[in-house]
Amino acid sequence: MVEIKTVEVSQKKKTRLNNTVILFIILVVMFALFSYVGRPFFFSKLNLIPMVSNLSFVGIIAAVLTMVMVSGEIDFSIGGNIGLTACLTALLLERGLPGWLVVIIAIAGGFAMGAFNGMLVTVVGVNSIIATIGTMFIWRGIGYTLTNGESILALNPVIDYIGRGMVFQVIPFPIILLVVTFVITYVIMNHSKWGRRIYAIGANPLASFLSGINVKKVKFIGFLFCGAAAALGGLVLTSLSAVGMPQHGQGQELVIISAIILGGTALGGGRGQILGTLAGVLILSVLYNFLTIMNIYYFYIQMVQGSVLILVVSTYEIRQAVARRRT
Amino acid sequence: MEKAVKKYSGFLNFLRTPTPTLIGIYIVMMLLFSLTSDKFLTIQNIKGIFNNFAVFGILAAGVTVVMIGGGFDLAIGSTAGLAGIVSSVLLMKGIEIPTPYVFIIAILIGCLVGLINGLIITKVGINPIITTLGTLAIFRGVCYFWADLNPRVYNLFVQSIGRIYLGNVFPITTLYIIIAFVVLTLIFKFTRFGRDLFTIGGNETLARLAGIPVDRIKILSYVISGFFAAIAGLLLISQLGSGRPEYGNGAELEVLTIVVLGGVVVGGGRGNYLGVFIALMIIQTITNGMVLLDVPVYLRMVVKGALLVLVIAIDAIRNKRHLQLY
Repeated sequence: MVEIKTVEVSQKKKTRLNNTVILFIILVVMFALFSYVGRPFFFSKLNLIPMVSNLSFVGIIAAVLTMVMVSGEIDFSIGGNIGLTACLTALLLERGLPGWLVVIIAIAGGFAMGAFNGMLVTVVGVNSIIATIGTMFIWRGIGYTLTNGESILALNPVIDYIGRGMVFQVIPFPIILLVVTFVITYVIMNHSKWGRRIYAIGANPLASFLSGINVKKVKFIGFLFCGAAAALGGLVLTSLSAVGMPQHGQGQELVIISAIILGGTALGGGRGQILGTLAGVLILSVLYNFLTIMNIYYFYIQMVQGSVLILVVSTYEIRQAVARRRT
Repeated sequence: MEKAVKKYSGFLNFLRTPTPTLIGIYIVMMLLFSLTSDKFLTIQNIKGIFNNFAVFGILAAGVTVVMIGGGFDLAIGSTAGLAGIVSSVLLMKGIEIPTPYVFIIAILIGCLVGLINGLIITKVGINPIITTLGTLAIFRGVCYFWADLNPRVYNLFVQSIGRIYLGNVFPITTLYIIIAFVVLTLIFKFTRFGRDLFTIGGNETLARLAGIPVDRIKILSYVISGFFAAIAGLLLISQLGSGRPEYGNGAELEVLTIVVLGGVVVGGGRGNYLGVFIALMIIQTITNGMVLLDVPVYLRMVVKGALLVLVIAIDAIRNKRHLQLY
């Protein structure tokens, strides 16, 4: 008996270690394959730098959204948030406001949007999926209303630097933002009291409440920072495209949420790893970049995105079911 | 839950639903709009309102079934678009498949999409919103296979199904909605399927323990939703006279607003078609009123999103979920 038990434990440890590692192996294989099939365009400076910059704005949001999802909630309004932030940034720049002030206002706007979502979910008690689908349309609608559906040029030294600046002439600035976000979220999730609370709430909200955790507060703050992260992502996207338009970020929620679930975060909360999310973001970004490089029609890429979402969640659910049957 | 168990006489029970409030809101709204715009209370405008809500009404009929069973269907917009564009391609010059077959194919497509949604949701066990959000993107992509054909609908019969006015006043599409709502109400009241659906929506675990074939009934509810989405697609190509891949884009938002406003509880177990019908009229009157009052197009999007948030917030408060401590 004792022997069997120890064997089981060691196996479990093995699989847990492997999950993220497997994802990174898949990433490397995919990258090598795509570099070969998509030569000479895929593995070139002209493609890699935009890909990495694009990936970083997805990653910044995904890292923070992982915290919200681990706590058992979800935020679909990120796409709308990006659109509104982009419009707001471009409009304010057009009015002649200095770049740094625009950045502060945009991030503050993100906080406000996050706070609205958080209030809806924690104070009013609305299901977060539907609530944020509703607010997604509101944010994007405000973006359309502000700009009258037009795209506005957003050129300003500060804004340009956020998306296209090069640190030491080699590293794109968005990558720095990405790394910083991931380091902060990693430390919070794995080495802080707050992170433990988030995991506890996702696993069992009632037990967490009874053991003295302010569940609503933790969830609210998750939404708050998710809004800010989406606004930061919106700033990066605005800078990358040098234009603010309400269509920015449309459909990104599909990509970001698939990446997070691919990284091993449970839809119902309680489980998830920041590094897994990073792997998920990298894999999906490389995949979609490859499809674009191969000149595939946008709507078919959208189809692939939908299929990936369902496939990833199905795999997760099936694995869960198998694990449950084993025990 | 406890409320649902208590028994009241029919009329009292009706008063406890949100339907009377909805009727009140509708009357106030009619008064307000007719005071602010002199074009509102013309027969021409009212005819227009009724004919415009055909597609949303038919979609709401199916979504209500799914939502009463505790599910969600966001894929209806792209299902309608898919059924619409496929049938308009089949009706094109040079292909011209007989109309009855086109209708059957369209409906089969709708049911198939519903079946796929239902199977993924019940057998794999994914959250219905995530599933249908994924299939929404997939089937919208499929619609673009035929984007370049730009099919037009010249078939007079197909054109007429969504455009005829009975006695020159009453749009036939409203008749479809009424028939669909009445038939589904009867199904809810008098068939085993209907009762089981309400039980599942009320408490799925209980339903499973009581021996109700939960999965089969849920799948059937998604098939019904797909069926109505296909009919909505046919009405779209009939009214617009062509097939375009983007038809039905964003319909899920408006239909969700209508159904939840109509008193169908998010999470399932409660709801009736009278409420949904009045909610349908309210939402369409708001849309129409915004047109008459010259509200900018993009602002209407904000209003619609805000309406959805408001409606679900009311739903959450009414069902006392805000009393939860965590």
